Amino acid sequence: MAEAGDKILLDWDALEVGETFETFEYVLTQKMVDDYRLGVMDPEASFPTIAHKVDVRQYNAKYRDNGSVNARCAFYCYNPPIPGKKLMVTAKIADKYLRRGKNYIVTEAVSVDEDGRLIDRVITHELKQPNEVGKKWGG
Amino acid sequence: MGGLNPDSIERDYQVGGEIPPLVKQMTQEAINLFEGSAGQTGPSQFTDEETARETLGTEGTVASGRMSLTFAIEMLRRYFGSDVYNHGGFVDLRFLRPVRPGDEITFSGKITDITREANGSRVSVEIKVENQKGDTTGIGAGSAVVPNAYLPAEE
Repeated sequence: MAEAGDKILLDWDALEVGETFETFEYVLTQKMVDDYRLGVMDPEASFPTIAHKVDVRQYNAKYRDNGSVNARCAFYCYNPPIPGKKLMVTAKIADKYLRRGKNYIVTEAVSVDEDGRLIDRVITHELKQPNEVGKKWGG
Repeated sequence: MGGLNPDSIERDYQVGGEIPPLVKQMTQEAINLFEGSAGQTGPSQFTDEETARETLGTEGTVASGRMSLTFAIEMLRRYFGSDVYNHGGFVDLRFLRPVRPGDEITFSGKITDITREANGSRVSVEIKVENQKGDTTGIGAGSAVVPNAYLPAEE
């Protein structure tokens, strides 16, 4: 893999399924929750972690590529996170596959709070040729 | 129902039963709030037209699929009740077409299966998302385990 700056240029063929990233930690603030609820127009929305894209955050911190498009996403709700609590996220490359000549990467992340409460699990399939959106769906 | 959350929902679930639909008006302001809620302030294909043109080849911005995921979760949470859905609910969506600012998207669902589990019944739902033109922007599935106490007593 060629390196530029602190990030590694993605070599899809060399990317190893099972690669696990460093744990990512952050504090969920009330503002994050409030902004998320405004954005999704739902005052009871309980999983602002969806917007945090923590499943791909560590991937994006390590690799650079041409961008991506979310093709599929699965989400398991275990316990709503509590504002003010620190969240710990472990993420990994869960799979990769070729479909119709396009490259996909599947990431999976589990969030747990500082008290050990399981928060959620998210599995995302990203198409690594984002310009396919414009080709297929035009402007 | 003593001891249960007063917001809990008791319902007789039937295969083929329809979930009340959820309609959302997508705006650039909502997209910006969603993206910014995690502190992401730089331009992206979701918030900046030029970045969208360069990255996606589209004329304008698009909404993250995760917003549709959130809306599907909202539809199911309203149906099952937050005390059920927020503690074991699941959703899996495939994004078939871009959702753009100005779109009105409608989420609908239908019960496809009900299976007994240790402490209740898993109610599975198929999900469809359509825009104002009738184009399908997403499909998927979701489920929740409804505790026995929330189900009508068997005769």
